[in-house]
Amino acid sequence: MSDNIIIKGVNKSYGKKQVLFDIDLTIEKGMFGLLGRNGAGKTTLMKTLAALHKKNSGEITVCGVPIENAAEIRAMTGYLPQEFSMYPSMRTDEVLCYLGTLSGIPSRECKKRVTSLLRRVDLIEHRHKKIKELSGGMKRRLGIAQAILHDPKVLIVDEPTAGLDPEERIRFRNLMCELAEDRIVLLSTHIVGDIEATCEQIAIMDSGKILWRGTVSELLKEAEGHIYTVNVAKRFLPQIKKEYIVTGMLAQNEYITVRIVSDAEPDLPNPVQTAPDLEGAYMYCLRSRGCDVCGGDE
Amino acid sequence: MLFLKECKKVIFSLTFWIYCLIVVLDFTSQYYPDCRKAASPPYDGYKLSEDHGRIMEGAVKSLAEGYLANRYICYPLGFYKAVKLNEKERGQIEECLEELTGLSAAEISALDESAEKYGVYDGLHEYTGYTIESIPLSDTLTYERFTELMGKVDDTLGGGSDFKPDDLVFHFSKETLTKEEALKEYADFTDKDRITGALARLFSDYAGITLGILPVFVAAALTAADRKRRMTELVYSRRISSFRLIFTRFAALTVTMFVPVLLTMAAALIQAVRIYGGSNISYAAMFTVPSFWLIPNIMEAAAAGMLLTELISGGAAILVQFVLWFIPLLKDSGMLWGNISRFTLICRHNSLFYREQFITHMGAFVFSRIFYILISLILVLLTVLVYELKRGGRFNGVRLFGESGILRRKA
Repeated sequence: MSDNIIIKGVNKSYGKKQVLFDIDLTIEKGMFGLLGRNGAGKTTLMKTLAALHKKNSGEITVCGVPIENAAEIRAMTGYLPQEFSMYPSMRTDEVLCYLGTLSGIPSRECKKRVTSLLRRVDLIEHRHKKIKELSGGMKRRLGIAQAILHDPKVLIVDEPTAGLDPEERIRFRNLMCELAEDRIVLLSTHIVGDIEATCEQIAIMDSGKILWRGTVSELLKEAEGHIYTVNVAKRFLPQIKKEYIVTGMLAQNEYITVRIVSDAEPDLPNPVQTAPDLEGAYMYCLRSRGCDVCGGDE
Repeated sequence: MLFLKECKKVIFSLTFWIYCLIVVLDFTSQYYPDCRKAASPPYDGYKLSEDHGRIMEGAVKSLAEGYLANRYICYPLGFYKAVKLNEKERGQIEECLEELTGLSAAEISALDESAEKYGVYDGLHEYTGYTIESIPLSDTLTYERFTELMGKVDDTLGGGSDFKPDDLVFHFSKETLTKEEALKEYADFTDKDRITGALARLFSDYAGITLGILPVFVAAALTAADRKRRMTELVYSRRISSFRLIFTRFAALTVTMFVPVLLTMAAALIQAVRIYGGSNISYAAMFTVPSFWLIPNIMEAAAAGMLLTELISGGAAILVQFVLWFIPLLKDSGMLWGNISRFTLICRHNSLFYREQFITHMGAFVFSRIFYILISLILVLLTVLVYELKRGGRFNGVRLFGESGILRRKA
């Protein structure tokens, strides 16, 4: 049985509105990042891969199993949705045991796994707490625990770090990297930092299409020569935002150092070409493929 | 074990405890006071004779009185209505009366002169009522033809009248019990029913009404819990089959909701032992009769609650089950015993006596209980189907209200 997800020519519509257009993607074992703006179609693709949405056309196989075989797909897939909660009055370990039972794990085995998983996601001290007493970060970690409870071959996580504080975010990213050692972890996010910290293989989605597919270093290479920094007086900032894509700013007294994305050398005083970061490379990728990218001016 | 976990979910829900409270309140306010004292022979009771001559005579007399007054008291959907017919409809009733009595139209109209007249005010209308001493029946009239004509009359009146063929026996064959008959009823109560058999019927009569609607609230709450707690996708993405999950939830609902009923049965038994003594009663009857009587009610309401909650968002499940429960209840509100048909959801026998009447309908009673068990299983299977469609993203449920609701208000 193959250890990959193969997506060929997948289309998906909600009524008359098409949200996925001819998606072609092969995802191998390890971390895979799906980056895109809100509304790009990431969640729809994630749900389709978790057999929660039906595609209109195309083919998907998960570890050799066609997506139409929902029961088998569910048995080998762990899914952490973007928005979720759990029964607020249940205890942390209790809710995991309940979901474990739904995954067909025998009771005794389930208890062992729950204890081990709670330890792994650093929630063992909170196992007797009710769900409603957990913080947002704790709930997210519990979400990951439920997704890997049945030891799935594929883990699908949708916007897992949204709303987490920096410490929780780092902890979460590390956890996912660990999990990716022996399975496919598909991470969908609009936060470039999450991808930068965890993924080597990525795809960029926009308006229901795959815009780009490759490694992080390939994406960075593609943006080389298109990222500049300029040091300008603060009063010029609104004008710069109108004309360029601004990916970073650092204020120093009257001046401000602005990091911008530009196809050609910007018509600004003393622009300095700099090595691209992933955020800049991502913005360049969107812009160079004709996407309407906001320059930072709201 | 999933079943126990689902039971726990039900038990820890607020709706379940409200359900328990109402079950107990219903028991303490209805059955318990009725049975606080030892029963005595029903000297003021009545029986249904099923004498065709008596039924035809009573019904035709009542119809003629209504015809003369042109007012017919009906209960369509259980609500009072004094029906007044137009000329054409009145002519149809007249034709029926001609065939029923063998009298001509002129002779029927002439009954006006010999009838006793009295003023009637029902709060809405004021009219003259008529009491006819007697009216002949046609020599050629058979009971079959009589019921056919009564069916026509009921249709002309818009339904819900005393002339509905199924209700003729109840409305027109009542006879007061003789002393001997009352004593026989009492003997049946003590000897054949061994007291608790009769008490169990009365218990089931009261509890059946509550259990025709209450379980739908608990079922709807459990079914909507995943959606309300934003847990749906976590559950949908598990390995378990929709069939196993939904049937386990249904079983958990049925069992947990039966437990408080079982406890009230035990309380009823303790009360019976205290009043009648332990040696004269049947202990088993207090459990077997209500169980067979009430479990189908719980199952049907729970299954309907599950299906409608999966199918339609919002409180539609409660609304639909309320209609299913309320209309037949009101329709048959006058018939508290001896009126169990094969499709009756809420079987009534609001008496400790008239065992024979109940036994007469035993076939229909058993049929109705099995019928509703099967109906509930079919409803659960449909729930599985809807759940599976929603789980695979092929159906999102019907919304009645809100932006995408089918009943949304247009701007």
